[in-house]
Amino acid sequence: MSSLSERGARAWGTTRDWMPTVLKYAIPAFAVYLVLLGGLFVAMLQPPAVFGKIMSKLPAITYFLFPFKPMWLIARRGNLNVGDPAPAFTLKTLDRSQVVSLSSFRGREPVVLIFGSHT
Amino acid sequence: MIYIEEAHPTDGWEMPSNLKENILIASAKTFLDRDEAAQTCMVKLGIHIPSLVDDMQDSTERAYTAWPDRLYVIDREGRLAYKSKAGPFGFHPATVGKVLQTLVGKAQL
Repeated sequence: MSSLSERGARAWGTTRDWMPTVLKYAIPAFAVYLVLLGGLFVAMLQPPAVFGKIMSKLPAITYFLFPFKPMWLIARRGNLNVGDPAPAFTLKTLDRSQVVSLSSFRGREPVVLIFGSHT
Repeated sequence: MIYIEEAHPTDGWEMPSNLKENILIASAKTFLDRDEAAQTCMVKLGIHIPSLVDDMQDSTERAYTAWPDRLYVIDREGRLAYKSKAGPFGFHPATVGKVLQTLVGKAQL
């Protein structure tokens, strides 16, 4: 009487039988995945308006198929490091009545910068 | 606060959550557009901290890689004491509090 494994091998074939078929499809699929992954990362490096336009065309599943968060944190890391001089700026206040320069706070008090928008 | 270009404008990467909450703002075409959006934001969210508006070249946003949102603390010497990870994942205001406590503590020593 043949063993269970021998009967299974006859029914389904051995690993050696179906592995080439799996690889035949898995390798190109993985290559396509890598290309899409690279494309998404390149998109993340684009200016926000360009990146936003690209993302508006992609399905929501993109967030689940690709490691979106770690890629985003790398792409948007920026060049500044703790200890670096803070880049200077002079910007208008909300009511446009005055301008404020970051340099005006030097020697006075720490400054917290909260960057964002309503959307 | 420094108001920068919209994260999810209606003419860009619009989010369902914004549609649901009726936060419908197109990309600013002029400084006035951005300023109006900033003022609306401050009123709707009840923000009373001093606020500035980035120029239409997005020069401050680019210098600080700030989009869509980010936090920084600058010490009295004008150096970066804290830089958050890119938003939205790295936007943790509680950490800013701890950094400020450290800076104030150092100043008192």
